[in-house]
Amino acid sequence: MKILAVCQSGLGTSFMVQMNIQSILKDENVDTSDIQVDHSDVGSASANAADYFFVESTLANAVGSLPKDKVVLLKSLIDKNETKEHVNDILDRENIKYDAK
Amino acid sequence: MLSDLLNAHTIQVEDGSAYTWEDAIRKAAQPLIDLKFVETAYVDSMIDVVKEEGPYINIGPQVALAHARPNDSVHKIGLSLLKTNSSVDLVSEDHPVKLWFVLAATDSNSHLSVIQQLMTVLTNNDILNKLLEAPTVDAVMDALDEADEAEQ
Repeated sequence: MKILAVCQSGLGTSFMVQMNIQSILKDENVDTSDIQVDHSDVGSASANAADYFFVESTLANAVGSLPKDKVVLLKSLIDKNETKEHVNDILDRENIKYDAK
Repeated sequence: MLSDLLNAHTIQVEDGSAYTWEDAIRKAAQPLIDLKFVETAYVDSMIDVVKEEGPYINIGPQVALAHARPNDSVHKIGLSLLKTNSSVDLVSEDHPVKLWFVLAATDSNSHLSVIQQLMTVLTNNDILNKLLEAPTVDAVMDALDEADEAEQ
């Protein structure tokens, strides 16, 4: 499974989200051998680039071409709990085990 | 450490009640211009990106991280912070901001450790609240020191 954090420039904010996702997976003792987390700019995020896309909500229109069920819109990029809820939803959908805390 | 970049030279606290968001970004970036880390052109490009693409630099409640792609007008990796006592609306009233970070990167990788350190500060609600309430530059630095200590 691949999760891609996307932002306008692919420079700063997407990396923040990537880091948060990775630290959440680590905290929850998820086996990440089959999970790839990366970041990119909105222009290079095509539907096939990942299984799930984490996007800041003001960029919703810019990612309109991506399948809606693959896109997670984040209200705040620095609210780890919000990111965590979405990560856990995905882990549930993919039947991946994690330590809920 | 974050204090290598964010210190008495690069942190400012202002009232801000008369600012537009463009003023806030220009003011926040001024120390990086004074230190010759960036040229004015970089500040213009940060503002242009928001005009063209919207307020996506509003990364969390009351927090903006202004930045643009690395270009010739950035000479050295830098970070600065303006705290405004009054919220300034970033583009619209849906995006009030008090903490204006400005990030300048020289390439696509060098700034990643800076962002990493910044995130440990911003995801810590106690420290974030202290920053939002900080009345002086010293108070901002104290809150950041606390983050550095919590890290160790």
